[in-house]
Amino acid sequence: MSNPFKNILLYIDGSESSIVAAQLAIVMSKEFRSALRVIYVVNENLLNELLKAKIFVQMEKMDYERDLEEDGKRYLNYIVKLADRKGLKIETILRKGVVHEEVAREVEECGADLLVQGELGEVLSLRDSFYEAGERILRKVICPVLIVRGRDKVERSYEDA
Amino acid sequence: MNLVDYIKPENVKLDLEGSSKREVIEELVEHMAETDEESDADCILEAVLKREREGSTGLEKGIAIPHAKCDAVRKLSIVIGVSREGVDFESLDGKPAHLFFLMIAPLSESGPHVQAIAKIVKMIKLETFKNKLIKAKSGAEAIELIRRVENGEV
Repeated sequence: MSNPFKNILLYIDGSESSIVAAQLAIVMSKEFRSALRVIYVVNENLLNELLKAKIFVQMEKMDYERDLEEDGKRYLNYIVKLADRKGLKIETILRKGVVHEEVAREVEECGADLLVQGELGEVLSLRDSFYEAGERILRKVICPVLIVRGRDKVERSYEDA
Repeated sequence: MNLVDYIKPENVKLDLEGSSKREVIEELVEHMAETDEESDADCILEAVLKREREGSTGLEKGIAIPHAKCDAVRKLSIVIGVSREGVDFESLDGKPAHLFFLMIAPLSESGPHVQAIAKIVKMIKLETFKNKLIKAKSGAEAIELIRRVENGEV
């Protein structure tokens, strides 16, 4: 059987669960000898919504946008180090915009055959489930999606890899 | 992120006494400094007032989310305040504000701050939640309500 996952895309948002997802993506990439790309998206849409709702003023929104971009770079660098520890070279992508749309675009552009992401966040109600980025990504992308749970097991796999 | 990881019962101040915007902000900031020993009230107050000068954080339907970033706190700090009488907070709809969320984040922690604000904005759209929170009889009751909403139980 040929390798089903030649090109893996990992989506991170800086949460603990996305770090767990990163560990499993690294293990899988080593195992399947897949190329691994990792993407972080500055949630520009959310900032715009907070601006529109008058919670942020324009200057403040721009300030937060810069901060989130810096956060994104920091998170991506951390994943690079995690991969490096296992002798894996990965590519990082930082985008701005509507999170699920940017992730879906990257899936298409890089021809990902698997998207890996952390577990879905809690939702306030069924109606609100569509607000959660992870949930929206799941519904939007055209490739198989792996939602990673089971932190302890994944951490052991990563340590053993 | 879960709000209940950042708010404890002691971070809830029911029955705010202030009758003006400035007084309520001072009261909330003072409460934050009392419950978070590592925070600096003067520095927080200055940051919040500076932000308010750029535009009021009084929203509609009795809600205000005064917020700022400053290194007077070590992690995202939140205080919830309730004014039974209501206070003129220069809100968007011109109506008195009853429910306040003071949110202060360190300069280096914007991600959780933005997420927390967005989450609160979503939660307060639930009228039932908002009304129950305003009527909460204790900090513990308020936190339990938030926990239940976060878990999708309300």
